[in-house]
Amino acid sequence: MRTNPVYKREITVSARSFRLALVIMVFNGILALIALLNMYSVVERVKMTADIQYSSFLNLYVFVAVVEFIMLMFIMPALTAGSISGERERQTLDLMLTTTMKPSDIILGKLASSFSTMFIMIVSSFPLLAVSFVYGGITLSDVFLLLLCYVAVALMCGSMGICFSSIFKRSTIATAVTYGVLIVVAAGTYAANTFALSISQMNINNIYSNTMGGMMETASSGGFLYLLLINPVATFYMMISGQTGSNQMANSFNRWFGPHPENFVTKYWVVISLALQLLLALVFIMIAIYAVDRGGVSRRKTEKKVK
Amino acid sequence: MMLEIRDLHKTFGKFHALNGLDMTIPQGALYGFVGPNGAGKTTAIKIMTGLLRADSGSAKIDGVEVTKGTSQLKMKIGYVPDFFGVYDNLKVSEYLEFFSSCYGIDGLKARTRYMTLLEQVGLEDKVNFYVDSLSRGMKQRLCLARALIHDPALLVMDEPTSGLDPRTRYEFREILKELREQGKTILISSHVLSELSELCTDIGIIEQGKIVLSGSMGEILRRINATNPLIISILGQKDKALAILKSQPCVQTISMKDGDIMVNFIGEERDEAMLLQQLVDAEVPVHGFTRERGSLETLFMQITDHDGEKAVLVHENESGI
Repeated sequence: MRTNPVYKREITVSARSFRLALVIMVFNGILALIALLNMYSVVERVKMTADIQYSSFLNLYVFVAVVEFIMLMFIMPALTAGSISGERERQTLDLMLTTTMKPSDIILGKLASSFSTMFIMIVSSFPLLAVSFVYGGITLSDVFLLLLCYVAVALMCGSMGICFSSIFKRSTIATAVTYGVLIVVAAGTYAANTFALSISQMNINNIYSNTMGGMMETASSGGFLYLLLINPVATFYMMISGQTGSNQMANSFNRWFGPHPENFVTKYWVVISLALQLLLALVFIMIAIYAVDRGGVSRRKTEKKVK
Repeated sequence: MMLEIRDLHKTFGKFHALNGLDMTIPQGALYGFVGPNGAGKTTAIKIMTGLLRADSGSAKIDGVEVTKGTSQLKMKIGYVPDFFGVYDNLKVSEYLEFFSSCYGIDGLKARTRYMTLLEQVGLEDKVNFYVDSLSRGMKQRLCLARALIHDPALLVMDEPTSGLDPRTRYEFREILKELREQGKTILISSHVLSELSELCTDIGIIEQGKIVLSGSMGEILRRINATNPLIISILGQKDKALAILKSQPCVQTISMKDGDIMVNFIGEERDEAMLLQQLVDAEVPVHGFTRERGSLETLFMQITDHDGEKAVLVHENESGI
């Protein structure tokens, strides 16, 4: 099978750079230090109380998973937001577009190389997650679901970065817009639900201001809840709290945004949300391909005609 | 014809970059594409290479419409822009390998091809050098090698020698001559007209988005000599001479340059002799009467400089003619 030229070049350059090795070392170093401190505190507690708190090891799993998730959300856009605009600034995009390579090859090559870099970082930290297996509490399917969650969020954030990188000429603008949209997706959907909940509570307070209790409990954010399906932070929280057994998924929503009826979406929330994130990633990729192709000639259609 | 452009239009907002561009480049020609800044050269080149879409009109390369943008068409064009387009942290061999794989050429075939090209552009000893460590001239030669990696029939070059020292320019010119001998059709856009006149077989001058003059270099140089201005040097007052010149039907425009009268004179040698006779008969103290020596540069200035006519009007107003 032929390797994507853009992917091959990006990997060659990044493998040559000292930066990636340094980032992996620092990242895993911090995680390892925290893991060791966590184990140390458990051992110290055993010495004092003769009681082993196995849940502490789960905290280690949660901590590593959360750090990796945050890193994915913040580093992936940074890796991709300058990819196409960087080529444009270096004036190499035009050179690539005059070759027989399709815009989709350029976009997918860029995304794949950024994804590979992230994947190396995630996989390299998995031995730390494996510490949790020693003490139990986490199953292989949990880790698999976590990995799936990482893949979905990496692809969504990465393709979002590439999309804005293709639309905007300057890398700085593309990066700023990517982070802006990411904040809107993560914090905005949460804020919209909080706002909807408070409006609902206010309405109930106004209508039933003279009645006693009961009605307040029915206040909820309503349909706004489903906006959280595109929020990777919410889905990750649901998933990790479900895995560590500290909370049931539906309970979290009810606690945050009032009671919502249990239905197919709330039942399979994580799976639906991940699928939706992957779908969004696909949409971003399509927009990026269109944006790169816009200045050139629509190759794909004419290639089909020629064939 | 290797390149055939018909009635090409392109606007950017209200600005008409191309305004019915027509041009043809015969197979095997080395075509000089000349025009002032903003005349539409780069826009035309970008449309030829498929980087821009034209609003209307047609552009065909070897009979294939550019708007079709097929792989077959891309294999026919090699593009050297007015910038280097190089990557940091990539060696010369890796850079060329990358672009050859962009054309679907991989492995030994790619290696053989780029080694041949590096030899041709004189960079064979730089194969393991990092691209960003090369000098400006070397980078430009590397870009030329990159554009030739898929052995295109048409090489389109946008200001390839800008910013290069005379020695590198000379070497670059020699490479182009060699490529032409190999049967490549080359379109070169440049501001260095003296360079083009000794290098090109054909030329096209673009102004305000359309070709104002095109043809073979020999034919155009012959035409330049016939259309060059007469330089008339007069001692003392020039009013009488200007009045005689204005009455002549062969005189198109009159302008002043370094105290001499420059006359755009369309006529035979006999008409020139008659004009001189009239000036002498009117006792105008003529001490110089000659045709300006023809060059591509003067032709370019004549075609693209509209200030000459304004200068005459200013002079006429000032002298009360």
